Amino acid sequence: MFSIASSELVQIFRNRLVLVTSLIVPVAVSALFVRQHETFADLGSLGYIAAIVMFTVAAFGLYATAVTTLASRRQNLFLKRLRSTAAADSTILAGLLLPPTAIAVVQVSAIMTALAMVAGEPTNIALLVLATVATLAMMIGLALATAGLTNSPEHAQVTTLPVTLGVIAVASWVGITGTEELTLLKRLLPGGAATELTMNAWNGGTAVADSLLLLAPTLGWVAIAVALATRLFRWEPRR
Amino acid sequence: MSTTPVIDVDRLNLTYGDFHAVKDLSFQVRHGELYALLGTNGAGKTSTLEIIEGHRAPTSGTVRVLGRSPRDRRAVRPRMGVMLQESGFSPDLTVRESVRLIGRLTRRTDDVDRVLDLVDLTSRAGRRVSQLSGGEKRRLDFATAVYGTPQVLFLDEPTTGLDIQSRDALWATVDRIREDGTTIVLTTHYLEEAQQRADRIGLMHQGTLHREGTVSELTRALPAVIRFSLAPSAPRPPLQAVVDGDGKALVETFHLQKDLHLLLGWAQEHAVELPDLEAGPTRLDDVFRTLGTASHRGN
Repeated sequence: MFSIASSELVQIFRNRLVLVTSLIVPVAVSALFVRQHETFADLGSLGYIAAIVMFTVAAFGLYATAVTTLASRRQNLFLKRLRSTAAADSTILAGLLLPPTAIAVVQVSAIMTALAMVAGEPTNIALLVLATVATLAMMIGLALATAGLTNSPEHAQVTTLPVTLGVIAVASWVGITGTEELTLLKRLLPGGAATELTMNAWNGGTAVADSLLLLAPTLGWVAIAVALATRLFRWEPRR
Repeated sequence: MSTTPVIDVDRLNLTYGDFHAVKDLSFQVRHGELYALLGTNGAGKTSTLEIIEGHRAPTSGTVRVLGRSPRDRRAVRPRMGVMLQESGFSPDLTVRESVRLIGRLTRRTDDVDRVLDLVDLTSRAGRRVSQLSGGEKRRLDFATAVYGTPQVLFLDEPTTGLDIQSRDALWATVDRIREDGTTIVLTTHYLEEAQQRADRIGLMHQGTLHREGTVSELTRALPAVIRFSLAPSAPRPPLQAVVDGDGKALVETFHLQKDLHLLLGWAQEHAVELPDLEAGPTRLDDVFRTLGTASHRGN
């Protein structure tokens, strides 16, 4: 797994397009939110900034990069090549997804640390970590499912839009308007419960047990995404 | 030496929707053999090869490679080298990185520099795959297949796009690997390669094994050929010859040695020049041509 992961990391750093979309764009957007945190905190709360930063990295960094990478590796038959070795399918996928996931973890940690330094620390760090892990898992699952519907890296620019824009919209909606109204709908939408959990973790004021229940919809989305992925994911291009 | 076949294909079937790509195919490849799987376009070779390599599951039937199911990658792949028909290397990795990565994933051990040297890519080691020519990519593919000298080697169109020198070098390497007892399965469109090198040939047509045997077994069924040119003024030759408008004569015979002797004796006796004289057994090409016409008649 690590030999695939390290070669994948080399490839990410050699490909400028992927480097810009996966590294620079999410960091730039997040930096803007951190810099303008007072404005955005007025609009929602500091927890909302944390959530939107997390989803920006998870959607534009991790998710879009993972879909683009998988489509590209399939299109040029690199996946088939890896499968002609002794490596198991799970090892291959883990190796391919490890670098973008690690990059996303580093980015989210760095940006949240920056936010904590300029605006004050979160109330419950453990809960925040849990929310981040659940969100990243959901996005990886969705990436595997989306990759099944994506024929080429160019095609990924279109196929990733519903999820990237969707989760950002849900995070903003939940983050700005809260979950007092339309509670069930907002929590069940992908990213809704994760946003609320992140806000609770950062802002405090909610019982931890209540917050933990919010993990359920996110984990449900992980399960749905994985189920979709097992049906949709393909290792070789369509002929 | 073990008598269990290295590859055992038994009543293999593969269907895509309504299309029956492989029909009740059975054959075996013995230890140390070079078996060429040949066939017309769309005969089902690639599908068959993909099932044997473990890339695809059959609709029915069984395949055993080294006594195991080829789907059992962990057990079979470390002993199997695969040269795919299409490259499948990442354009952003260098030649050395590609060989090291794929080599390591086969779980065989070898020295990357030795393998690069074997395929004459040492001078390209630091180049990105995207900068390689088509022939260099084929050699890279070959390098990853022979990494660690596997017990079974699959060569799918190995010499397509290679120049003569690279082709000779590749076959020289294959010959050396065979000395270590490696079993080889080959597909190729260059029939003379199969004719020269295969111990046995399986000839696929429309999803079935149309014929199987050694080159001479396959060609024996067809007549040998004598060709020569004949001046208009020359007397009639002693053999049943078809002469076209340009004076090119063709004799088909099952008794090549006797008829050739007869022809040469007659030419000597009558002082007849036979320019462009050629004589030889039927080539594999001709076996292929009869395949095509047989199926056309069938259609």
